[in-house]
Amino acid sequence: MQEAFLQLYRKIGTFRGESAFSTWLHRMTVNVVLMRLRKKSLPTDSLEETMEPDADSSAPKRDVGAPDLRLTGAVDRVNLERSIEKLPPGYRTVFVLHDVQGYEHNEIAGIMGCSVGNSKSQLHKARTRLRELLQEEVREQAREERKAAKSQSGSQE
Amino acid sequence: MQCKELESELESGRLGWLSAEAREHLGSCVSCRCFLADLETIVSLAKTIPAEVEPPARVWVSLRAQLEAEGLLKEDVEVTEPDAAPRWEWLRMLSRPRSLATAGALLAVVLTAVYFMRVPSGGKPSFATNQPAPATLQPGQPVSPPAAHETPVPRPAAAPTAPRKTVVASNSSSGAVPSKVKDWKPSPSESASVATLSGDGPDFSIPGLQPAAGDAPVDAALRQNLRTLNEFIAECEHRLRQNPHDELAREYLNAAYQQKADLIAAMMESARSEH
Repeated sequence: MQEAFLQLYRKIGTFRGESAFSTWLHRMTVNVVLMRLRKKSLPTDSLEETMEPDADSSAPKRDVGAPDLRLTGAVDRVNLERSIEKLPPGYRTVFVLHDVQGYEHNEIAGIMGCSVGNSKSQLHKARTRLRELLQEEVREQAREERKAAKSQSGSQE
Repeated sequence: MQCKELESELESGRLGWLSAEAREHLGSCVSCRCFLADLETIVSLAKTIPAEVEPPARVWVSLRAQLEAEGLLKEDVEVTEPDAAPRWEWLRMLSRPRSLATAGALLAVVLTAVYFMRVPSGGKPSFATNQPAPATLQPGQPVSPPAAHETPVPRPAAAPTAPRKTVVASNSSSGAVPSKVKDWKPSPSESASVATLSGDGPDFSIPGLQPAAGDAPVDAALRQNLRTLNEFIAECEHRLRQNPHDELAREYLNAAYQQKADLIAAMMESARSEH
């Protein structure tokens, strides 16, 4: 993050006003992060690739007809933040930009270098994936509670 | 509408803007209803996450250090003024020429206004007026010995001929005092008027400004102000005699001269206008 700030300070004179300043900031930050990851030889799928509508099985699917676990009242902000961390980078970026920071799809498209349609598609997939992650977390919590209750009743006997 | 069509509609638009067919499908499909409710829960929870998080303070410290190391940030050059005794501090603000001129002008206007408001109707001004109106001298005009029928007039304009100086930082690299400041001495023709303005001379040696019996309170206040100024001028001159390089004292002295000149000019003007 510090490197991103430094780069912004160094390159501030190159801002030409062709886009919103926030868009330019975000774009530069994304580039700085990618450069840093490449230096560390970490796998960096280009965000453009991540943003491509994927037809493979990695896209989250909603089981039609499966017993759905209602999330309302069962999850809180902490659960959500933990689940956001588990999202793939492309999904996470679009979700945070749109649903957390309030950017519109045309702004996100400018930041990420993709189309508006792509941004909408990725957002929907991010939300669907988050739903899956949160359901897993709720199930896990319920399992832990049942275990704790069993061990407590077992010890009392 | 099928579930997949509803999902396409959710993917392309906002959650709350659904078509009539979509809403009809939701009425009959529990799974889609739960799905939509969960998405709305996720979106509403996301809005509670702070959009901006302030980084810890160490980030800014580290950033600044890095920018200075790269030469992109330069430290501010600190100009310190000489340590002044506490009693000088309240005059530090007045030492600036602009504020000084403003203060002097304001003081003259206020005093003139107060004087005019307090002079009793039909009465004489409080200054002694048994002398003819003093002649008005132009700046630079040498002071001639007073004639029998004339009243010597101070030359307040003499003091402003002293060059105005800018504040000199005490930690300047050479430590040299500008020659203009250091070498300024009043010329012989100015000495008389400077003596008039200086604190060494007797108070109110200017005829026409001597206290008169039955003075209004405002006149007493004016004289008190002049006394205070004279004391301050005397102290500045004393300080300068002890240390001719004391720039602060020199600056205060010039400021005090100007203030006194403005005050006397205002008083003389009001006395003349009464006549």
